[in-house]
Amino acid sequence: MNEETKKQINQKYERKLEHGERFWPDSIFKDVIVALGIFLVLILLATFVGVHDAPKADPSDTSYVPRPEWYFLFLFKFLALYGQIPVVGKIEWLATVLIPGIFMGLLTLLPFIDGSPRRYYAKRTMPIGIMSIMVLGIVLLTFLADVPTVLADGSSLLGTLQTIAGIVIPVIAYALFIFYAYKTKENAVRLTIITALISGVLMIVFTGAALALHQPPAVETAEVPHTLADQIVAGQELYSLYCVECHGDDGATTVIEGVQGLEGLEIMAINGKDVLYTLNDASLVEVINYGRPDAGMNPFGKAYNPEGLTRSQMDYIVTFMRYIWDDRFEAPEIKPLFPELAEGEVPSYEVHIQPIVKRYCISCHRPGKDSNEYYMDTYANILNSGENAGKNVIAGDMNSYLLQTIQGTPILDASGAEIIGVMPPNGSLKPDVVDALVRWIMAGMPETEAEADALSAPTPAP
Amino acid sequence: MWQKTYAWLDERLGLGDLYKNLLDRPEPHGNWWNTLGSASLFLFIIQVVTGIFLTVYYTPSPDHAYDSIQYIMNEVAFGWLIRGIHHWAASLMVLVVFVHMLRVFYTASYKYPRELTWLVGIGLLLLTIGMGFTGYLLPWHQMAYWATTVGTQIAGSVPFAGEFILQALRGGPDLSALTLQRFFSAHIWMLPALLALLVGVHLYLIIKHGESHFPDKED
Repeated sequence: MNEETKKQINQKYERKLEHGERFWPDSIFKDVIVALGIFLVLILLATFVGVHDAPKADPSDTSYVPRPEWYFLFLFKFLALYGQIPVVGKIEWLATVLIPGIFMGLLTLLPFIDGSPRRYYAKRTMPIGIMSIMVLGIVLLTFLADVPTVLADGSSLLGTLQTIAGIVIPVIAYALFIFYAYKTKENAVRLTIITALISGVLMIVFTGAALALHQPPAVETAEVPHTLADQIVAGQELYSLYCVECHGDDGATTVIEGVQGLEGLEIMAINGKDVLYTLNDASLVEVINYGRPDAGMNPFGKAYNPEGLTRSQMDYIVTFMRYIWDDRFEAPEIKPLFPELAEGEVPSYEVHIQPIVKRYCISCHRPGKDSNEYYMDTYANILNSGENAGKNVIAGDMNSYLLQTIQGTPILDASGAEIIGVMPPNGSLKPDVVDALVRWIMAGMPETEAEADALSAPTPAP
Repeated sequence: MWQKTYAWLDERLGLGDLYKNLLDRPEPHGNWWNTLGSASLFLFIIQVVTGIFLTVYYTPSPDHAYDSIQYIMNEVAFGWLIRGIHHWAASLMVLVVFVHMLRVFYTASYKYPRELTWLVGIGLLLLTIGMGFTGYLLPWHQMAYWATTVGTQIAGSVPFAGEFILQALRGGPDLSALTLQRFFSAHIWMLPALLALLVGVHLYLIIKHGESHFPDKED
């Protein structure tokens, strides 16, 4: 750029300044309005949308599907699509380093590459066209982030559609823009606009097609307990599932009963000072994670046990142990397991029985455990499953196996040998829990709350 | 009284000169697109302030990072608000800085005499993205952990130097306490210090050359 052009540019700017505005207050006024708007939006987002939560990092859980921040999604998608291209697609660093590097290099050196003093839009059709298509491509790739490139059945139709929308059309458009800029001087503006519009529409159409053809799988959202009370409840539920079998529902068991392979093993009660005062939270988590092989305890961490627990889950169990058993900690108010039953009220499966079963029974009575194949994981299975199907739960019959065993009567066969022991094998259920189960079976095992209400005796007038 | 105080301060600080040189400047006629730069600066200041508050409770160690954020969200008074603003302002800042770059590109404001302003601006864009990348790991939850695993892997695919970059980012072959410490240090000291420096240069250049005018047919 020669001195003459520079002088012209500066003179032009001086003229613009004469007909312009003042930084204070004109520009500052607009800046302040925008800043206030942004601040308001941020407070609204923080209050009403909040921050998406996820479980604690767990290096052993390699099944977790990583998802970067939204502004990196387009790059991830680009890498995935690039991998589809034959031959070059296998050279990873071309896509991860070279192509982004070239783009960033061009962008950085833009003022030196485009050294002409021309600024008006119509005189810069090539860079404006390329940038517009690229920004559109970035936006579309971000939308496509969750669409897979290869489906489970091996069909690559979605991948092809996405590659056309995100790579093929843009590359053709860039080539055309460059061609117009150098070869068709007078028509460049018109041709560039037409090409940009056509390729933009095509990109949107192909993206829309890929999005329309893709059926998103039902997303499993892991609910992360936030409050202390929620964490304690979560820990108790996990404890009921994983630990009750050996340690009992109150952690007081000293001799394991009814567990295959560990029958009669003497263990330490885990609800007393011996354990809770001598081990801190981190050590307790380690015991759960790595187990105590010498003492018979299996490792429960996900890295060592395919059905094991994640870091967060082990933390919740320890939180539960602390706040419920450790007398130095005061537990916050926790909702009772099931609402108290009124005189003559019939409990229902969904409100009362399911939480009871989940806490006291399901640790053993689920697939994969030695429990005469009596599974209590669903309503139908409680009524009818396992070797003694039909006898476990009989409507209106106090001789139902379930009711006998929870009330201290083992089930004997004809020769007098015990076929089902007292349940639960260690300790006994609280009277209100037994009462709820008795009432439920005697009333005919209603599943929903409405069915139970219909069976309940009318509340006596006060 | 007030006038006396002002006169005393003005004599020593040169408030009048500051006003004349910084605020009372002529500018070409602008519109709302011109507010993107100041919006980026405003978001940066918000991030600095909320970020400083967050460091009061945040602990950069794998054992405590997650729990310390749970504590900020649930126990600390208005902790949820401070973290919520920090989280959303980060996203918004990337967006606003990017759109600011687009605006400068479309109006060709990067041309003479503002080439250096553009160069510094690209540095600011990269640093903003770097802040987003390093900040994403700090909550130490599953998403953060695995996204950073993949992110650093990509950085490690550079030919020849890849292995070195990967190890430098992670502080070893795998993500560990060292990685978290490093990302924390980068997120609260190295990158913000560079960012503040470049913001200063960027602002100086803008005041020096003035805001560019929107191009018309003669440009």
